[in-house]
Amino acid sequence: MTTLSHKPASARPIPNPERSLITRLNMGTGTVVGILFAVITYYLLRHHFGSPWRVNHGMDMTNTHFVNVTILCTMFAWSFGFLVGIGALIGPFRWLIGKDLTAEEQLYLAGDGQGIKRYFKYCTDHKVVGIQYLVGVMVMLGVGGTMAMMIRTNLATPGSHFIAPIIYNSLVGLHGITMIIAMIIVSTGPFGNYIMPIMIGAADMAFPRLNALSWWVLFTAIPVLCSAWFLGGIPTGWTAYAPLSDQAGPGMNAFLATIIIFALSTAVAGMNITTTVVAMRAKGMKWNRVPIFVVGATISVALAIPAFPTFMVAMIQTGLDRTISTGFYDANVGGSGWLYANLFWIMGHPEVYVILIPGVAALMEIAPVFVRKPLFSYGAAIAGFAGIAGLSVLVWAHHMYMSGWMPNLNGPFMITTEFISVPTGLLFLVLVGTLWRGKPWMKMPMLSVYAFIWDFLIGGITGIYLSDVPADNYLHGSMFVTAHFHYTLMGAALTGAIGALAFWFPKMTGRMLNDRGSYISFWLIQIGFNVLFLGMFMAGAAGQPRRVADYAQAFAHANLISTIGAYSVGLGMIVLLWAIIHSWRSGVIAPMNPWGSKTLEWTVPYPVPLVNFDEPPVVTSDPYNYGRSAK
Amino acid sequence: MAHHDDQDLLPTPGQRVGTFLKRKDVSQTFVLGIFFTAVFVVLGLWVYPHWMPNVMSKEMQGNEDIMIWFTVISAPIAGVVLAIAMESFINMHRGDTPPPEDGPGIKTHGPVVVIWSAVSVLFTIVAIVWGITEMNTWSSDALAGSNNALVVDVTGSQWNWSFNYPAQGITSHELNLPINQPVEFRVISADVNHSFWPVQLGVKVDANRLSTTIARTTPDKLGVFDVKCAELCGLNHAYMETAGHVESVADFNNWVSQAKATGGTQQ
Repeated sequence: MTTLSHKPASARPIPNPERSLITRLNMGTGTVVGILFAVITYYLLRHHFGSPWRVNHGMDMTNTHFVNVTILCTMFAWSFGFLVGIGALIGPFRWLIGKDLTAEEQLYLAGDGQGIKRYFKYCTDHKVVGIQYLVGVMVMLGVGGTMAMMIRTNLATPGSHFIAPIIYNSLVGLHGITMIIAMIIVSTGPFGNYIMPIMIGAADMAFPRLNALSWWVLFTAIPVLCSAWFLGGIPTGWTAYAPLSDQAGPGMNAFLATIIIFALSTAVAGMNITTTVVAMRAKGMKWNRVPIFVVGATISVALAIPAFPTFMVAMIQTGLDRTISTGFYDANVGGSGWLYANLFWIMGHPEVYVILIPGVAALMEIAPVFVRKPLFSYGAAIAGFAGIAGLSVLVWAHHMYMSGWMPNLNGPFMITTEFISVPTGLLFLVLVGTLWRGKPWMKMPMLSVYAFIWDFLIGGITGIYLSDVPADNYLHGSMFVTAHFHYTLMGAALTGAIGALAFWFPKMTGRMLNDRGSYISFWLIQIGFNVLFLGMFMAGAAGQPRRVADYAQAFAHANLISTIGAYSVGLGMIVLLWAIIHSWRSGVIAPMNPWGSKTLEWTVPYPVPLVNFDEPPVVTSDPYNYGRSAK
Repeated sequence: MAHHDDQDLLPTPGQRVGTFLKRKDVSQTFVLGIFFTAVFVVLGLWVYPHWMPNVMSKEMQGNEDIMIWFTVISAPIAGVVLAIAMESFINMHRGDTPPPEDGPGIKTHGPVVVIWSAVSVLFTIVAIVWGITEMNTWSSDALAGSNNALVVDVTGSQWNWSFNYPAQGITSHELNLPINQPVEFRVISADVNHSFWPVQLGVKVDANRLSTTIARTTPDKLGVFDVKCAELCGLNHAYMETAGHVESVADFNNWVSQAKATGGTQQ
């Protein structure tokens, strides 16, 4: 158990806003300045480079690609302008004149006592950032999910009656990238920011201003991504393969700009989380006493730190190809599409584990609490995460078995890929070992553990066929792949995040998540999910390519099954959203530790005080000493 | 239980295994494990032959076998995982308060972790060896057949396939292949990436701009197969498909001479 050492609580200075500039900045001023920057940039560049509406206005430009300069610069100007307008750069500007924010200003930025307004400001409190991420993720999942419903509606029957192929292709791309971004931050954003610093006994993140920066930088990417709709969409799927991306219309720029902005956000967040966990753990929290969610989130963001820059580079090069025709990926001038594919998947495969690991880690945090047993083999859990993270950087070309890039490397990449089953197996061992001989308290977080085991098992077994080169000859690029990765990303990682939300909801909102609503949504989502992707496995095994707007009559049954399942998932998500909103506003008031957990975040009241702990906690044992005859 | 009592009555390993197996939760888990294993074995054996299309080459048979047998091999592992999960699920505690007492304080169990890891390493090695053996078979078959292989130059362009038979001197949008003759597809793209997928022949390779990629197979059943594009290639990606035919040698030669008679180009 945790004991608290007794030190007098330091007296807090009273916030003294003084009506200075910093008190007047918020999301509104950010938006105004962002739009202003964007409009000025647009009008400055329009005459030289053309606009998407008046290409090459009055200029003798033989290369229509120059219009992309206008669009990209306008997008980056919006992003930069927003950050200026919300006050993110006040600190750096002060450094230029040899000063920094005053103590009063820093305290003001932490937002204590500013009520709901602080959620719309550049607020450095990690708890505010956590809630901002949570709401942001829910909006993104809602948008991405709506697009998924439109995709499934179009595929319900052969003939593509619902939407035209050009819009369908854009939907596929936007659904993909929206969901990928949402899933990367779905656990580490809300829970990594809100809960994790409290879990390790820290007063805040290591770099509170960077923490706010990571959220608001990400926020500026959302309108950029949405603008793709008005610029002709993203016709390339989320993989944005070249040379299709060179050929694509102006909407493609939205994709590039989004990824570049998002990569900055993840780099900032990743450094911040890693530093916090390394440097700011409570006294006595040795490495073998760190809660497993913290370990998982840290490994996940540490893996993202080297992964996303390659995506950013890939996108910068696509941008250069599209603006000044550098031809990195254009075979006609000596470039290669395989260069893009390599850069993309060097990010792309670690990225799926960046998504998966925090979700699993959250469920490992949940299981011991509800089974009232220690986490089975903490060491195996860490070996599993570390093994997956380590191997994941060596497997990228399994996405390129059929690309013709290096057929001779297929064998080696198959070996590294298949070996990921070993650390993945350890994750299963940890979970079933924790369940073994237990009598789990069946609440929503615990149900998610069971759903995860089933979904991830299916995702894992189908992954074994896909990692096998000969079988991938058949399966690559088919609906089977789509079903497989939805089992891992949605069935495993999103299930983990929903479980985590149910688990930490009382600490984040002060109220319990509505039981009935969460159970109904759970079964609608899980049954619907399995029906949906069972149908998709059928279609893929029968030979339906992925990302098709239309298909042959032979796949009609499988697709109809899929669409029925999809509607059930959609309904379940609406019920879950209702349960979250209802419970947040008027749910049952939660006690300080409703689940009887032994980690530090349950030792603080709601609302959590600004510096989290009145006295710095001291940790004297690992957080999983549940169980009879536990020493 | 005090520790020294254990010492006095320390059972032999055999007795311990015996007591373990007689426990009710263990026997229930065991039964559940058999059940789930059987479910996965049946699924593997039944589902893929029913879901997957006609097998028209050795390569396609190889793919289907991998999907079937990898499922069967992984069935016991899935069985163990699901059995333990289900056994604990059945024993759930319901209600609004935490369970009155904790479960057993098992922090880890060395032999279980070691055995589990060893089994998954073994399973992985089986999968790798199977995959590499299959790849080698494909390569050596291709090498053996390379002398009398029918060469077909496949060009993907937005959004159709065209097939050029250099030895026969014909170009067509129709893909006809003689039965039991090795075929070598030399695939290239006229624009963006495509992926050449003669579905029932069980091979696939991307079409890239200015780089030729190769796929080899030997069709061994007469009939129609689908040719699809498996890489998103723009607006009409979904419609970039055509039918291929595996024909008797006589029919194929007939088609070739007809095509030549019409000037070597057939639509």
